[in-house]
Amino acid sequence: MLSWVTGFIGIVAALTIILLIRRDHLHVRYGLWWIVVAAAFVLLGVFPQIIDWLAARLGIAYGPVLALTLGLTVFVIKVLTIDIARSRNETRIIRLIQRIAMLEAEVNRLREQVEASPDAQAPIAAPLPPDQRHTGEAGAD
Amino acid sequence: MRRRSDWQTRRCIVVIPAFNEQRDIEQVVREVRRVSGFPVLVVDDCSTDRTRELARRAGAEVLPLSQQLGAWGALQTGLRHACLGGYEYALTMDADGQHEAVWIDKLFEPVIKGEADVSIGCCVRRGSKLRKVAWVMLKAASGLRMEDITSGFRVYNREAMELLSGREATLLEYQDVGVLVLLKNAGLHLVDVDVTMLPRTSGTSRVYHSWLVVAYYMAHTLLLGFSKRVRR
Repeated sequence: MLSWVTGFIGIVAALTIILLIRRDHLHVRYGLWWIVVAAAFVLLGVFPQIIDWLAARLGIAYGPVLALTLGLTVFVIKVLTIDIARSRNETRIIRLIQRIAMLEAEVNRLREQVEASPDAQAPIAAPLPPDQRHTGEAGAD
Repeated sequence: MRRRSDWQTRRCIVVIPAFNEQRDIEQVVREVRRVSGFPVLVVDDCSTDRTRELARRAGAEVLPLSQQLGAWGALQTGLRHACLGGYEYALTMDADGQHEAVWIDKLFEPVIKGEADVSIGCCVRRGSKLRKVAWVMLKAASGLRMEDITSGFRVYNREAMELLSGREATLLEYQDVGVLVLLKNAGLHLVDVDVTMLPRTSGTSRVYHSWLVVAYYMAHTLLLGFSKRVRR
């Protein structure tokens, strides 16, 4: 019975992944990983003897323990790689925010220069009304 | 006109990170401009009060962050800006008036003479017993030997500014242990300069204001210091 449940979970997971990619909720790159996970579920559901065979080779008396241990290990590694990726993204975001502030200061400086010069015809671009400046609302970032 | 000291002729910028410091920012900017004559850059970390406007009024250039980055993120923005602007030195100080401009002269001395890459204005007398215990723990974990590791009153030379502008310094959250260890491990020379500091008159320390924040700060900084421990 358990093998049927596992196989069923695998198929539902695979369908969900495809649906998520289809609707642009999941990057194809990450979808690949989840499809592999789903395939492993189906494989182990249909052929549960794979685990027993592997456990016997490794000298583990009770097969399901091996399955759980392997599953948990893969899960922990996956979560760790997510946090590594998050850290990298955070670096990128911080540097972008810093760059924007530097550019914004530069734009302000240039605008003041242009407005102060006697032959200024018109401002380069209409300045934002004060209430729309760096508010972090839509469009501001 | 007063004769300008050697340090006053250098290409230096003053970087002040600020978050809701409307009470002191104007006075701090005016005072440091009067004493040093350097351009002042205030990095506004998404203040919700009049910090930005008052800093501009006092003659500072303002870098407006569009998302809050915290004390170090703001300071690093200023250092990146200073590097791009071609400045040789950056003087950093707090926006709350704790750091007195009269000490700038003394703070510059070792860096101008080439005896150090970074000088840190340290005031060992400040701080409660608890803070001193924290410092001892942080120094033990990180291998640092600075007197006042949390002081933000510093002078950086160009080499230090470039190092701290880099990506490897971007994920730091505070300017103390992580920054100092990075500088040390790059082979830069740091010195302590004894100064006095005024008691904080407004605002609260961004680190020492609630138990939960203190606990996070200690755990964070101990782990960081231990992971990046100064190589000897």
